[in-house]
Amino acid sequence: MSFGRILIANRGEIALRVARTCREMGIETVAVYSTADRDARFVAYADRAVHIGPAPARRSYLSVPAVIEAALQTGAEAIHPGYGFLSEDADFARICADSGITFIGPRPEVMERVGDKARARSLMAEAGLPVLPGSDGAVSSAAEAERIGSEIGYPVIVKAVAGGGGRGIEVARDRAELRDVYRRTTALARRMFGDGDVYIERFVPVARHVEVQLLGDSAGTVVHLGERDCSLQRRNQKLVEEAPSPALSEEARGRLGEYAVAGARHVGYTGAGTMEFLVGPTGEATFMEINARIQVEHPVTEMLTGVDLVREQIRVAAGELLPFTQEQIRLTGAAVECRVNAEDPGAGFRPTPGRLTVFRPPGGPGVRVDSGFAQGDTIPPDYDSMIAKLVVWAPTRKEAIARADRALAEFAVEGPGVATTIPLLRALLAQPRFAAGEHGTGFVDTFMREEGHMLWSA
Amino acid sequence: MSERATGRQGRGEDTHAVVRDAERRSEGEETHAAMRLLREEVANLVKAVPGPVAGISLRLGECALEVTWAFPQAPPPVLRPASQPAAPVQQPAAVTTEQAAGSPEREDPASYAVTSPLVGTFYVAAEPGAPPFVRPGDRVDAGQTVGLVEAMKLMNPVAAGQAGEVVEVVVGNGEPVEYGQVLVRLRTDEP
Repeated sequence: MSFGRILIANRGEIALRVARTCREMGIETVAVYSTADRDARFVAYADRAVHIGPAPARRSYLSVPAVIEAALQTGAEAIHPGYGFLSEDADFARICADSGITFIGPRPEVMERVGDKARARSLMAEAGLPVLPGSDGAVSSAAEAERIGSEIGYPVIVKAVAGGGGRGIEVARDRAELRDVYRRTTALARRMFGDGDVYIERFVPVARHVEVQLLGDSAGTVVHLGERDCSLQRRNQKLVEEAPSPALSEEARGRLGEYAVAGARHVGYTGAGTMEFLVGPTGEATFMEINARIQVEHPVTEMLTGVDLVREQIRVAAGELLPFTQEQIRLTGAAVECRVNAEDPGAGFRPTPGRLTVFRPPGGPGVRVDSGFAQGDTIPPDYDSMIAKLVVWAPTRKEAIARADRALAEFAVEGPGVATTIPLLRALLAQPRFAAGEHGTGFVDTFMREEGHMLWSA
Repeated sequence: MSERATGRQGRGEDTHAVVRDAERRSEGEETHAAMRLLREEVANLVKAVPGPVAGISLRLGECALEVTWAFPQAPPPVLRPASQPAAPVQQPAAVTTEQAAGSPEREDPASYAVTSPLVGTFYVAAEPGAPPFVRPGDRVDAGQTVGLVEAMKLMNPVAAGQAGEVVEVVVGNGEPVEYGQVLVRLRTDEP
């Protein structure tokens, strides 16, 4: 069985990317869009499009009734949620099922279990994965937070149970700081995620962020497709992702893959997902969280494996089995993804929406650009500032970095008031510590503090 | 509709909660006790949430609870049972969405388009067989209901943003509509 028509409940580059795979599979697509996106490429590309609401996401892309009604009106059999918006909303997945629509993602119970970060932590510990010392579930008071802090030792990291996208996370270096951090994160979590619960873990200062791509099917088969190293991030927002991780030995890589598969099996995971790990300076890995969705940086894995992850998501959701075994998955060469954002690094990374009078993405061997924009389009101020993902592949990491830099240099983006992260990305790729693969998650913040001000001082 | 349990939590005029037992097969003592408990929970919830609540949907089987907040531009939705269309439980002061949607009808200054506030199914009358809210030639006041848009079993009244004469009801009864789609055209009194 397969789907005849899929509604894509997202916007921008990911909506277009999903629609492209659907077209290759002979599946009709339905786009949904807000007033701000009426002229967007993903709307024109889809076979049908439904205007679901005004610009604010809560009344369009986050409006469950609007999305469900659009699916029912157009006879869509399945909904692909992309990333962000409703992609990790278990209630939405349940409402899809109640409306006779297949949600392309894990089962709602599984989404719920892994979406609660504190619960996911204990589930993964159960499955035999190493976890950092920390609180057993959510922390109920500042006093309890302080007790746990002195138990596990400082520094500690406080995270929102319902958090995501690098938000609702803060580090506390000592007891006095923890009191403030606890107050701030609970208040922020309540405001942003509607759930003020937080949990506490020991903080690893020089760590790498390494995540493993997973695919599972309804027969219980789970495979991993290698890792992505996302250590180049600014304030928990990823800027550059690469595979394979320069920090892992073959042995450590194998172990991480086994952990990820064991954890996913333990919760009955189906579809595409990611298991995030922190890798410390001596190569020891600890479980961080599970992302129950397709991720922004999934093309890195696609470049290395040749597997179309969206295609497998759709096939698995339609009840088909994975077409390959773990042994058949080959990781070849090296891939690097750079997130090109319309932001001004010289002005605190302020978003710079506006009209793209020039937009010329790069080309040539080993270059893939996923973007929702074309020359003449306007970047709306209502959503995230990412305007393109530049992904390159080359036989070695060194060649991939050189190719990424070459492609970034070709990438022409201009518009009144529009600034991009392209110059910053090039500066980061040129850093000797990045070239040596010795950077941790704090690298970009340190770089911005020590050198960035010279590059972007007004 | 006698089996429908209706409770209201007053917290200002535009705040109301409609509680309904969706699993109407179950009529036992336990159900009533559970519904009572749920209603108390809802009462507490309404007190706790910020901003005026527009609607609350409860389901007993599997325990679903859905709260809708009133948006400044959108009228509060009204609940009705899944199976049968019915007159809205109450007719809240509906507000036009024309400003939000942006009316394309600007050539004729005396022409005014009432647009759909959301994606759903358009109904010209409160229930099947009932007279339509408006017919061509009718005079409407600003704020008067001209139709309903149903989305996920919530009936959302659509109001005229201006007073005038109905020129045309553009969308047929029971037809699907998009956000911002023109539903009714008016000739306004003051261009």
